[in-house]
Amino acid sequence: MVGATENSDCLECHSDAGLSRAASEGIKHELFVDSNRFKHSVHNINGIGCVDCHSDLATLNFDNEVPHSTSAEPVSCDNCHDAEARAYTNSVHRKASGKGINIPCYACHEYHYTSHLDANSVLERENAFCLKCHNPGKFHDWLPQKETHFAFVECTVCHAPDAPRHINLRFFDLVNNRFLTTPELMTAMGTTPADFLPLVDRNKDQVINAGEFDDMVFLLRQKDVRVTVHGELVIELQPSVHHVNRGVANRECEQCHVPTSPFFEEVRLTLAEPDRTTTHSNVERAVLESYHVSHFYALGGTRIRLLDKIGVGMIAAAAAVVTIHLLARIATIPNRRREHDEL
Amino acid sequence: MQQQARKLHIHSVYTAEHPKKMYVHPAPVRVWHWVNAVSFVLLIVTGLQIRFAEMFSFFSLEEAVRIHNYVGFVVIGAYALWVSFYFGTGKIRLYFPNPKTFIPDAIRQTKFYTSGYFKGEKNPHTMTPDHKFNALQQKAYLGIMFLFLPAQMITGLFLWRIKGFANYIDILGGVKIVDTVHVVLFFFFSAFLVAHAYLATLGHTPLAHFKAMFTGYEDHH
Repeated sequence: MVGATENSDCLECHSDAGLSRAASEGIKHELFVDSNRFKHSVHNINGIGCVDCHSDLATLNFDNEVPHSTSAEPVSCDNCHDAEARAYTNSVHRKASGKGINIPCYACHEYHYTSHLDANSVLERENAFCLKCHNPGKFHDWLPQKETHFAFVECTVCHAPDAPRHINLRFFDLVNNRFLTTPELMTAMGTTPADFLPLVDRNKDQVINAGEFDDMVFLLRQKDVRVTVHGELVIELQPSVHHVNRGVANRECEQCHVPTSPFFEEVRLTLAEPDRTTTHSNVERAVLESYHVSHFYALGGTRIRLLDKIGVGMIAAAAAVVTIHLLARIATIPNRRREHDEL
Repeated sequence: MQQQARKLHIHSVYTAEHPKKMYVHPAPVRVWHWVNAVSFVLLIVTGLQIRFAEMFSFFSLEEAVRIHNYVGFVVIGAYALWVSFYFGTGKIRLYFPNPKTFIPDAIRQTKFYTSGYFKGEKNPHTMTPDHKFNALQQKAYLGIMFLFLPAQMITGLFLWRIKGFANYIDILGGVKIVDTVHVVLFFFFSAFLVAHAYLATLGHTPLAHFKAMFTGYEDHH
């Protein structure tokens, strides 16, 4: 029998949780592939089979080649992910490979379970990537609000300064103290993910503006869904993200913490599906200044402009009263001099 | 002429029987006051930089935040000194208006500031160690020391470690609410500083109250 090309052929053996081989120096090399997790991987969803990556095993004679050669060719992700590979070439992680460390793609992206990253919160994403190896607590003492930055800003926002960024907004259920799932949101709104934007975006400009956002939250309240909106600053999943390098991290607070910061231009409402795929709806930036988004507030970057007017008014009023009083005081100096002389 | 001489006589008797200088600002109060004053100026300058980073660059934003945080703790420390002194000595009652006389006192004091002063009338309130503040000052300082300043210190503390105080911030309705309170009070204190510094020039000479706040002795003219 020739040609083991179906995933099911491979999984016949590799779904055995105990499958392993002895690697060098007594280390066991696990050969198990969790078929349930693989099923949800982005590769499987896109119809990529085992032998698309393990191409040297595209044909396998089950009768005399199983178990197959243990020295299967290393998989090169570059064959398909050209742009990502190019961006990675100059990254500090690739450069480290010359120093006896090898950081292949799957060191971060996992062997068989590469999944959609969109839906993850910053913390989930970082746990899956940077925090596997790095301890950010060690190197960021200069950073005010260290923990807050770690919770709301992805590492690559600063460490891959060329990557485009945006704000992800997600509904947080205040009653159950967790993110609201998309099915829950859809049930409450009486719609489907496909009809969600048309329902909310009343003026059909493909952007949820501040008024439409208000209406949406109001509708949820009517359905007894108490939510607040959490924001996160994340990078777009583009190849440039791989371009993480030494000495290029952004340390200028002013990049983010000014109202003109481009980081807050792109705001998206993220609807996460259980399979971790997401749909995004564009949201007007002004929503960040609304009281719905009261748990995400970047100094300067999303400040409430109305407050500035109130503040300037308060100081101007004080200055005006003082000036008027001072002028009257100067004008009435002769009065008081006369009074004093009489004494 | 005779009348004028009598006035002068009365005046001199008054000053002879009462000490011309009266010790109304004890040392701990003066220390607290000036530490607070310098700190507030620093907090306002760095606060402006932090909020309007696109407009002001007295420092880098990183430095401004660091200075703002340190000075914030100095203000909290100075407040602890104020609380210990005023409550420890019982002088805290200086801050409480007399409910029976508050309204007429306040009206009389307002009249003085808005018209009497210009006519050269005498301030209806004479500062003594037991009666340091006029009715308007009592009301204003009571609000500031018991409400606004604590609110500013607490919101500032929460904003210093948003993650560490996340539970309290959530109870208050989120970081935006806490920051809004902090910023509104920041504007209030900035406006207050302008008015406070000006009102302090309304002594018998423009610098009299300033000097007293250093020496502790108010001149009774």
